[in-house]
Amino acid sequence: MCMTTKESCTDRFDAMLETRGVTRRRFLEFCGAIAVSLGLSEAMVPSIREALAESVIGKTEGALTPVIWLELASCTGCTESLASAETPDVATIVLELLSLNYAETLSAGAGFSLEEAKEQTIEAGGYLMVVEGALMEGWEGNALKIANEKAIDIVRHTASKAAAIVCAGSCAVDGGWQAAVPNPGGAIGIQPFLERSLADGSFTYEPNPGGLPPIVNVPTCPSNPEHIIAVLVDVLLVGKLPELNHLGVPSLMFDQYIHDNCPRRGHFENGEFVYQFGSEEERKGYCLYPMGCKGPQTKNNCPIVRWNRRVSWCVEAGAPCAGCANANPTKQGYNWVDLNTPFLKRFKNLTIGDISVQPALVGAGVAGLVAVALAAHGVGMKLTGRTKGGADFEEVRAWDKKHPDKAIGVAAAAATSEESKASDAEGGDE
Amino acid sequence: MPEEVVPISAQLGAGPSGPSIIDPVNRIEGHLRIDMVVEDGYVTQSWVSGGLFRGMELVLQNRKSSDAPYISQRICGVCPVSHAHASCIAAEKSYGANDSFYQGIPTSARILRNIVEGAQFLHSHILWFYNLAALDYVNPLNALKANIADTVALAEAAGTTQADFANLQKRLQGFAENGQLSIFSGNWFDAKELNGSSAYKLSPELDLIATAHYLEALEMQAVASEISGIIGGKMPHIMSSLPGGTTFVPTEEKLDDILFRAKRLQAWVANTMIPDTLAVAGAYLKAEGTNSDFFYGGNEGNYIAWGVFEAPSFKPEERYLPGGVWSFNDPGYKTVQNWDESLITETTAYSFYDRSIDDGTPINPRSGITAPLYKSEYALADIRDHPQEGAPYTWDKAARYDGKPFEAGGLSRLLVAYNRGVQEVVTGIDGVLSALGVPGQLEVLNSTLGRTGARNVETLYVANRMVEWVTELIEAIKGGDSATFKQAANHTGEGAGMWEAPRGALYHYMKIKDDVIDKYQIIIPSTWNISPRDNNGVQGPMETSLIGVPVEDLDKPIHALRAVHSFDPCVACAVHITEPKTGKTFSTVTSPWGVK
Amino acid sequence: MPFILTHWVNLICMVILIFTGFYIHFPFFPAFMGIARGAHLFFGYLIFANCLLRVILSLFIKSAPAGGTRKLERDVKSFLPQKDNRHQLGAWIKYYLFLKKDHPLGGKYGVPQKLTYVAIPLFILFTFFTGLCLWAPTSVVGPFAAFNNLLGGVLVTRIVHYFCMWFFIIFSMLHAYLANVEGLAPSKMMFGWKEHGGLVYDPDAHVIVGEDKLDH
Repeated sequence: MCMTTKESCTDRFDAMLETRGVTRRRFLEFCGAIAVSLGLSEAMVPSIREALAESVIGKTEGALTPVIWLELASCTGCTESLASAETPDVATIVLELLSLNYAETLSAGAGFSLEEAKEQTIEAGGYLMVVEGALMEGWEGNALKIANEKAIDIVRHTASKAAAIVCAGSCAVDGGWQAAVPNPGGAIGIQPFLERSLADGSFTYEPNPGGLPPIVNVPTCPSNPEHIIAVLVDVLLVGKLPELNHLGVPSLMFDQYIHDNCPRRGHFENGEFVYQFGSEEERKGYCLYPMGCKGPQTKNNCPIVRWNRRVSWCVEAGAPCAGCANANPTKQGYNWVDLNTPFLKRFKNLTIGDISVQPALVGAGVAGLVAVALAAHGVGMKLTGRTKGGADFEEVRAWDKKHPDKAIGVAAAAATSEESKASDAEGGDE
Repeated sequence: MPEEVVPISAQLGAGPSGPSIIDPVNRIEGHLRIDMVVEDGYVTQSWVSGGLFRGMELVLQNRKSSDAPYISQRICGVCPVSHAHASCIAAEKSYGANDSFYQGIPTSARILRNIVEGAQFLHSHILWFYNLAALDYVNPLNALKANIADTVALAEAAGTTQADFANLQKRLQGFAENGQLSIFSGNWFDAKELNGSSAYKLSPELDLIATAHYLEALEMQAVASEISGIIGGKMPHIMSSLPGGTTFVPTEEKLDDILFRAKRLQAWVANTMIPDTLAVAGAYLKAEGTNSDFFYGGNEGNYIAWGVFEAPSFKPEERYLPGGVWSFNDPGYKTVQNWDESLITETTAYSFYDRSIDDGTPINPRSGITAPLYKSEYALADIRDHPQEGAPYTWDKAARYDGKPFEAGGLSRLLVAYNRGVQEVVTGIDGVLSALGVPGQLEVLNSTLGRTGARNVETLYVANRMVEWVTELIEAIKGGDSATFKQAANHTGEGAGMWEAPRGALYHYMKIKDDVIDKYQIIIPSTWNISPRDNNGVQGPMETSLIGVPVEDLDKPIHALRAVHSFDPCVACAVHITEPKTGKTFSTVTSPWGVK
Repeated sequence: MPFILTHWVNLICMVILIFTGFYIHFPFFPAFMGIARGAHLFFGYLIFANCLLRVILSLFIKSAPAGGTRKLERDVKSFLPQKDNRHQLGAWIKYYLFLKKDHPLGGKYGVPQKLTYVAIPLFILFTFFTGLCLWAPTSVVGPFAAFNNLLGGVLVTRIVHYFCMWFFIIFSMLHAYLANVEGLAPSKMMFGWKEHGGLVYDPDAHVIVGEDKLDH
């Protein structure tokens, strides 16, 4: 579907009309209908015809910033989440702020014409690329195909001219749950994938060959609409990307622990905890720390922006944080599921290869072994009579005995007393 | 398709022939490819394939049973609550044999789960009808031509709610003048019937009303999600439902927030969604040249539902939307039957799996052995190619019940409920049939229109229940029943959570040992609907539904798209596998870091 | 002697840090978290300061390089490799494993002891560092954030910090055992006994020159 020039685009459009059995007359009729619907005079039909022949996305430039929203291995939760956005709501976004030219879940078009919309947007350039879901590399990328094209190729192609990339949700950042052990489909985040593609030469970013497009990672599962809108819309208003931290995520939203902004933090400090669901402590809204809450190690501003038009958030619903915002595009294997399961336990197993143990067990186990060894040693000490002041000192160091020429102490005292005194004098002058 | 209905367009002579492909299918959840052979304007062969492999069951392995509801929700962002609950039920059933633990779930927890499940149904159905499916029938750009006074009068006549139509039209005008098409890029608004008339039949006035309600629906689906958010902490992916009950503590402060949102939704569904459904359907049925075409999209007419919204009895056949198996045509199921888990089978005869391990023999999911394997020869050289004879063409498995394809979804649930005599459903279905001018003809529901209409009747039914459940919960709490969680003593066993997502029958199975998951299996609704051919070569329900659908433009087969959308397919979750017992088959996975 | 003081500070800090650390790891009983966290921070800083003080003092203060002798040397020397310990690591291990009958001849500290004592300040510094990686106000500061990032996140740092604690627990067990198994005299030093009697080792001659009966 790649089109590199406008000529080939127009040719292809005509060819498509023919294969579809659409006559030129019928097409012009259709253009007329559009013109009427747009309140334009019939005289303007030719110019519209020209515009349409080149475009299924309408004008390539206008008041709206073009957006390609790629849905990869996703649950559509990030789109769903965005649909709950309040101010601005999603209709305002797609009608008055962004030109969402390609979004599988929202687009009116389907199939060929939808793919064409994507191609034309890419060709025009200057678009924002939003990615929802993980990229799948399994079976040479056959684990995810859209329009008979591997998603790995789609991502490289779409990223090659994107003004910026927004990775919406933990999956797009680092593969999310799909990258969790055993990562059966070969899930990977967009940033690590593009970094590798750049390194192996399979990706070139046209506006800046040798570099990567600006990437904004917005983790959380699903992404919070407040965050996505802040990145998409506020960026348009302010005119620049938000400040990012070392993980490429916006500092403003993701540099503080959930724990530090949690309304139950007071109970934490007071040592008022829930130890059991359904308990009196739970009713009182005490801290969920012993129930495995991942708030203390998860950076996000959930307690402040909250969810679903600010009605609530996980901890307010009595649920310990599952740490779904833990996404690390710089390290494979640190997805939030592997990192945070078991969700409802305070402790996590230490996994090395196939062995999975509790750190406490390791610590206590080693300490226990040492204790047993010491007890046994103590018995030995008793048996050998060393408990009263220890064993007798050796007369001469064992090594010295074997190397009398280099020995110090008694054996050497006679032979090297001059030398020894000299060296002591040196050492003793402070 | 009812016998007396002969497509008028069929009398108009030949249409195009050739391959007709929809890839990607838009406005669904996930990645779906529709591949059809069109001869003289009608679909004669079809293949439906899912293009994504993710492997949820493998990820769940070796984790705790209480982790499963949280992780398995991530299968689907539209119906996460259903996955959470099916997973909870599977865990609860494995905590005690013969449902001994499951039936002891506290009343408040049972009702709360029903409420959050119901909120998700409302969210999903409203979103589906207005924001996903509607653009197959409604052309918002056409609304620019609407006369405002006529629009107001039409809304009045249709009995649907008014809106600020003039302002909306101005807004659309501004959008059109800017010229960028946004979500209308590559639209199919120019699609046609075989006879050359437009496939979009609504008057500009009705388009304007529908567009106004498209925007209202965005608001209402968000309100439904607010209920899920209040109970579940956030939506999608709620946090409060877990094996043993819920973490949500129902306080008065929260309950009134839920109750009045539920009432608002109930009123909106009754006063806007239902009249809109009838108005749009009526307009299409009355439109010249399409009178009968609207009833395409039928299939074998077999329906399956596990049942949803738990009743005090904890019996699937007594749930608010009861479980059961029913068929228009199959003699064994002409009267509704209780389901039997052991009759479920899956086959991978046409799926990307390793033949040396799995020869495609139908197998019950409890003992399912599956090994994914993609070979380069499966790839299609061109997007317009059809799969080769006998070759695998999808990541999806073929689910069968009693060896036959069954459709799952809102229509299945309502037909089971109808035949079990759930009064409000009987009244609703009969009412819709009468309003559409086909009173008593239940068989017309086996169609694109039927699925759409049934889903909207279900929306009203659930909205009504929501208000009841909140009231019931308030009464239970007044009566001093405040327990919300039950601690399990035993964590070894196995169990299946058979439940319903908005898209249909949902099955989670887990086997745990000392609370560690040994085996996990999921069959999601779309595994039934978008199933490929089985080992006998029998097509899945959606594939069958596409046969005979008229196609005027091979690149814009609008009627096929409508038929596909009527299933509300949810493909992200349709692909699933389990760990093969035969060893490591995942060495083929290419990942720079290898498989951990 | 200042080192008795620093040793006491170490002991108290470690006991409190280990206890509050366990409590922060999992709060076994209610109403203590604020105190536990406050104490953990305070004593964390204290042991760090104490550690620095001890190391610095060792550079300036002189102490007896061996039991019984009246000679004083810079304290740090006792911890560094000395002539007295050349080639003795094997001998010490053999001695501890009862494979060698007589006590290796040497200065104040045996070879394994020296190695452990040198490791302790390093471990205190490292544990203090990982602690700061975990504490919210410092976790975002350059080196701490970089360390967290190197490991993959605070959860991993937390486990590292946790294992550091077990190092101290195990060290304490060994230390208390070895210090006292040949008599309780070393412990008495902690309570002000100036020195213990026994054989007198001459650091100049590198040999035992007699026995101190504590009768002076």
